[in-house]
Amino acid sequence: MTDLENILPYLGELIARWLRGFLPSWLVDMIMMAIVGLLIILLMVIVVMALTLLERKILGRLQDRLGPNRVGPYGLIQPVADVLKLLIKEDIIPEKADRLLHFLAPVIIVVPAFMVWAVIPFGKKLVAADLNIAVLYVIALGSVTSIAILMAGWGSGNKYALLGGFRAVAQLFSYEVPMALAILSVVIAAGSMSLQKIVEAQSPLPFVLLQPVAFLIYFICGVAETNRSPFDLPEAESEIIAGYHIEYSGVKWAMFFLAEYINTFAVSAMVVTLFLGGWKGPILPSYLWFFIKVAIVVYVFFWLRATFPRLRIDQLLNFSWKFLVPLAMANLLVTGLVTKLGLVYGIKVTAYWVGNILVGGLGLYLLGRFTPKKALA
Amino acid sequence: MFGLGLLKGLYTTIKHGIMTYFKGYKHPFPKRYFTGRPAPRLEPEGVGLFTLQYPEEKYSMFPRFRGALMHLRDPQTGQPKCVACGACALACPHGVIEVVAEGKGKERKLVDYLYNLGRCVFCRLCVEACPYGAIEMSHEYELATYENKMVLHLEDLLKIGDRSNVTESGWAWK
Amino acid sequence: MAVALKTQEIVLNMGPQHPSTHGVFRMVLTLEGETIVDLKPVYGYLHRGIEKLSEGRSYLQAVPITDRLDYMCAMTNEFAYAVAVEKLAGIKPPERAEYIRVIMAEFTRILNHMMAIGFLFNDLGAYFTPVLYAFRAREHILDLFEWASGSRMMPNYIRPGGVAGDLPEGFIPQAKKLVAHLWKFADELDTFLSENEIFLQRARGVGVLPPEVAIAYGVTGPVLRASGVKYDVRRAEPYSVYDRFDFEIPTLPNGDVYDRYMLRLLEWKQSLRILEQALDQIPDGPVSEKVPRRLRPPKGEVYGRIEAPKGELGFYLVSDGSDKPYRFKIRPTSFVNLGVLREITIGHKVADVVIILGSIDITMGEVDR
Repeated sequence: MTDLENILPYLGELIARWLRGFLPSWLVDMIMMAIVGLLIILLMVIVVMALTLLERKILGRLQDRLGPNRVGPYGLIQPVADVLKLLIKEDIIPEKADRLLHFLAPVIIVVPAFMVWAVIPFGKKLVAADLNIAVLYVIALGSVTSIAILMAGWGSGNKYALLGGFRAVAQLFSYEVPMALAILSVVIAAGSMSLQKIVEAQSPLPFVLLQPVAFLIYFICGVAETNRSPFDLPEAESEIIAGYHIEYSGVKWAMFFLAEYINTFAVSAMVVTLFLGGWKGPILPSYLWFFIKVAIVVYVFFWLRATFPRLRIDQLLNFSWKFLVPLAMANLLVTGLVTKLGLVYGIKVTAYWVGNILVGGLGLYLLGRFTPKKALA
Repeated sequence: MFGLGLLKGLYTTIKHGIMTYFKGYKHPFPKRYFTGRPAPRLEPEGVGLFTLQYPEEKYSMFPRFRGALMHLRDPQTGQPKCVACGACALACPHGVIEVVAEGKGKERKLVDYLYNLGRCVFCRLCVEACPYGAIEMSHEYELATYENKMVLHLEDLLKIGDRSNVTESGWAWK
Repeated sequence: MAVALKTQEIVLNMGPQHPSTHGVFRMVLTLEGETIVDLKPVYGYLHRGIEKLSEGRSYLQAVPITDRLDYMCAMTNEFAYAVAVEKLAGIKPPERAEYIRVIMAEFTRILNHMMAIGFLFNDLGAYFTPVLYAFRAREHILDLFEWASGSRMMPNYIRPGGVAGDLPEGFIPQAKKLVAHLWKFADELDTFLSENEIFLQRARGVGVLPPEVAIAYGVTGPVLRASGVKYDVRRAEPYSVYDRFDFEIPTLPNGDVYDRYMLRLLEWKQSLRILEQALDQIPDGPVSEKVPRRLRPPKGEVYGRIEAPKGELGFYLVSDGSDKPYRFKIRPTSFVNLGVLREITIGHKVADVVIILGSIDITMGEVDR
């Protein structure tokens, strides 16, 4: 199994050795970097195409119906049809739009989505760039999205888009804070900010078992960051009909769509890397385990979309600032305390569990006290 | 506990999702639809796949279903039963039927019967008004057309009647 | 010195083409930030002239037209019209016809409430899942309607004088099976939706309708009963055979969106109780009085009303002795219920307007006629 494991690094070595035969070394390095970048972009585009089809089919199955199944056998050519349709559509720019902002917004939203994938470990030796501040890099790129959404909302010259843009920006930056705090507790528990080292620090137990509260907080913030249901108010279809990308058509809309799905996949990959053990697993090669785990997390994302109604914007913001931030801070306190004490591994796990149950239980109890009840309230 | 309602919702959805593979319309793998016979109407079960792959799978309609109008023939003589009395035209709420006849009294003969398919609401008041049982509603519902042909004449209506295997008006309402 | 923040109000048009306005309904909202300061409803986009059309047609020919008033619950429209005409002409339909009418009306009530609940959740954002579960159960009820009358949506079945034809063979056992399934489905929807914390947050305390305001605006139906007023036409002025059945009129005290949803679920269960009793007690016999095709009721005027699923549906008929009604006035449920929209929406956010409209449950066919 180690042969299957190392197939990509081995191929990389072969190509590099062949190129060094007739090219200077610095050029070979640049070409290798370009090849890796292209591979990642290609993989992401294929993944997004698959995700659009999978979302519709899985949503259909959860609703007692089949998803699209007419275009090819079992609808497999549907993404091709979607892409073709988007490519040949007319590009409409509204009259009152601010041209520069309207043009730049899709670009700015899609580039950071691709850039996040440079640091995520796909397998044991499959990281494009093993930065030792990878976590900081990921959080920083997540915040660039809010600028792009505001540009899209304002630049469209449409009141619906403006409303959507406001809501999106408020939502995005208020969910950055608990996300960063939750990741921070993982960083403290693992001892490093590099994603590869965090994955390696997760033996024998993945961090979901050591830090369940941080896992839940990060999951919820991840769903909110990518504007997915139940936090998809900025693009609420039933109220403001598509929000900030209402005035985009054709390739520009495809960019927004692409960015949303790549972000979904990236957040799932981060959840897997930080909490579920990354590429670790017996028997199968590491990249297969990575994809299986990410597929399960993505399925949970779709499942949430099918089931829950959405929250209103002020309730969303209240939930983040009044509940998630204090909870994340309490969790950070507990984690820091337990890590600093420097206990033996078994007792450390128990201490983590006790701390998490206390913090989580208190949080749930308080939340239950202050939310409306079903009975006569 | 907070969150219990959310978990119950998730459980309901995933139960529906898993049961679509075991109940409901089962298609013969690897084909995606079954052909050759009308699709069964499912018993009220609440779970299971509920998609019908039209146009390969179609229901057969209930007997009293009201499709387009048709004329019936007398089984012995093969002539249409209609005697051009005009009761149907009088009963129709929207003026859909126009009866063209010649002669008076016993010599009254039907020349043509104009039925405006674009205006009909398929309410069946004409069939109830007919004293000779000459017309009935067929089970045809696929009436969309590319031509601008809204008015059907007697021969079209007789053709629908011959296709339908119905001999007696009001056969489903006994 | 207090400095006030100077903001500007924007006027937002939730236009006739909108995924959540339940038809072609236009609302001109004046917003300040996200809070609504004023709301002006504009309707009339679906006006078809039903009253004028019916005044030129005989009493029997007007039955297919009354079907198209509230197109989602067609059987109850015909029921109301039949009650009014029978009052005017002094006809009493036979027993079996009355029981069949009650069965169809209660199935229609369940149909409507399922759809109202489903679309309320669609407006809230649960991406079509409750809608599709509700529509699946609706399919079974519509199959029953097609079996009995010939058409799912415009049945043309309940006529003045009785019913158009007898129930086919095997209808009653199938209906009993369906009623048993609908009990389980109501419980399933209850588990799925009622305790959902997100829904509770969105719906509790939103769009509160005080009972005095409700009575002042003339609101009827589930909207009135969810505000605490126990008024139901089936008990206030019993028509048909409703006085023989044992059922309750549920009311809930708060009058917000959550209570209107819960009340529809409770009414659904009460309808199932009525259905079980009616399906057991139905007698044999003829299904229609002999009513002439061109009915000529005596001169006079009458107001006949029933408890339609959305509220009180009434027909005010004036007859001048001929075979066509002289005046055919409809008291539509949705139109009167819609009057209260502005009152209960001011002060809420944009996201709430849509769910308040969804909880009042209108059909534009009735509002515009």
